[in-house]
Amino acid sequence: MTAIATPPSATPPSAAPTRVRPARSGVLVQVWVLTGRALRQLHDPRLILLSLLQPLIMLVLFSQVFRSIADSPGFPSGANYIDYLLPAILVTTGTQAAIWSGAGLAADLSNGALARFRTLPISMTSLLVARNLFDLVRNAIQLIVLTVAAAVLFGYAPAGGIPGTTLALLLGLAVATGLSWVFIALASWVRKVELMQMVGFIVIFPLMFASSAFVPITGLPPWLRVIATINPLTYAIDAARGWAMADPTSGATVSTLLIAAGLTVGAALIASRGVRRP
Amino acid sequence: MIDAVDVRMTFGDVTALGGVSVAVPAGTVHGLLGHNGAGKTTLINILTTLFAPIGGSVTVAGFDVVRDAAQVRRRIGVTGQFASVDEDLTGTQNLVLLGRLLGASRRAANRRAAELLELFGLTDAADRPARGYSGGMRRRLDLASSLVGRPDVVFLDEPTTGLDPESRLGMWDVVRTLVSAGTTVLLTTQYLDEADRLADTITVLSQGQVVAAGTATELKERVGRRTVSVTLAAADVGPALDTLRRAGLDPLQSGRTLTAPVESSRALAVVVRALDDAGIEADDLGLHEPTLDDVYLTLTGACP
Repeated sequence: MTAIATPPSATPPSAAPTRVRPARSGVLVQVWVLTGRALRQLHDPRLILLSLLQPLIMLVLFSQVFRSIADSPGFPSGANYIDYLLPAILVTTGTQAAIWSGAGLAADLSNGALARFRTLPISMTSLLVARNLFDLVRNAIQLIVLTVAAAVLFGYAPAGGIPGTTLALLLGLAVATGLSWVFIALASWVRKVELMQMVGFIVIFPLMFASSAFVPITGLPPWLRVIATINPLTYAIDAARGWAMADPTSGATVSTLLIAAGLTVGAALIASRGVRRP
Repeated sequence: MIDAVDVRMTFGDVTALGGVSVAVPAGTVHGLLGHNGAGKTTLINILTTLFAPIGGSVTVAGFDVVRDAAQVRRRIGVTGQFASVDEDLTGTQNLVLLGRLLGASRRAANRRAAELLELFGLTDAADRPARGYSGGMRRRLDLASSLVGRPDVVFLDEPTTGLDPESRLGMWDVVRTLVSAGTTVLLTTQYLDEADRLADTITVLSQGQVVAAGTATELKERVGRRTVSVTLAAADVGPALDTLRRAGLDPLQSGRTLTAPVESSRALAVVVRALDDAGIEADDLGLHEPTLDDVYLTLTGACP
């Protein structure tokens, strides 16, 4: 939408003196500048600390509370619970980051900080892409810190090693991106921070727990097992776990990437329309 | 520079604009007057490409706001009712960000930012986050933000609402500076003196309709409530009433002050002569032009 060329005849009939107008910015410049704007939020060290602390607390709690699951039937024999848990946490942390994406955009939209951008000759989609890139960077930092902490504190050392863990981490980022777009799309229409948080937790928590994240699906009550089997997050977790534990399942990996890509494209289209409304 | 013809807009069952036309020549200031809900902000939102109207046609700087929205956006600057500044960024960063988005190089954007901060007296606060700015500073930064791209047309939605008197005067100066440089300005206001002092032409909106349009002088003449008022010693009030009636006027008494509507300023001489002939001395005597308040209240039928 920014690629419309100016027809030569379209000079405005104006009595005002001709002004030197800056050249228009390309979409890449827009995304770059707007991502920079979002990244400035990270200047607040408290925010960085807290956003790192939250997944760490989850890691500590889950790894200790659910430790005995390693002895239950259906658990891969000979594996450590931390090796089993961490790939799942790499995926679920991203889903929570998605809630903050939506809430962050809703805050930006409701306090008027973005009102001016709609009257600028820029693509509003680049604003959303920038938001998403920012979330992706923050999420990547979180996941790397999480993985290092798991290795140092709890002896995380899966069979897949660093390459497998890296692939698991990338899958987590793919899931986070898709879900971030879903919440960005919702926020671009809803624009209420509290509402976004409520909806976020209502959607994300069942997705997280009714999945293969913390216990083998076979250990779940039958009705929950049905939900967990159709839960797309289960595919993502199985895929991430597969790479980390050197037992990759290409079907789950492909499904995960396709679902993430589908969510991204669909939600981005909806979000671009929504964010234009004043 | 702005040409809106028969603009119509509805939100659900509510008619926000019922056929509004506004024409603003280049290099002039146009004031949109109206109380809350009159349709001022809706009209601004249409002129600035945020809403597509359901009827009518609008061109700004020669481009249709619906078909050529991108072209319009390259030529306008908008300051909304609520300051649209990024609180986490400093004054400079706010302006540089916009300059970069408008396609300026980093160096050009920095130069433009410094220029605008200077113009708006924000140089000292340039490197402080906007979070710590006062209300007046924030509005000035907001207005500066809308000027980064050197727009041909500037829209100001209630630019001085909530400002202290000094900041208001400063804002008026800025508007005058803009216009003297050839910029076209459309502003909405609820302050009648503001429209009176700043605007070359005025449109009065009420319930989505234009109830009056013209220069401030024309509007005042249409209402025509020019009055002469005379304040007298208490003992002279009765005789003065009779004298003015004999002079063909229709005075109203309020305490020691008599007020009479008159046709023209010549009536002042008539009053002076009549009182002088009757040997009555006035403590105070004056001709009062109708204010825009009178215009506004008469035309919109609102209660004072």
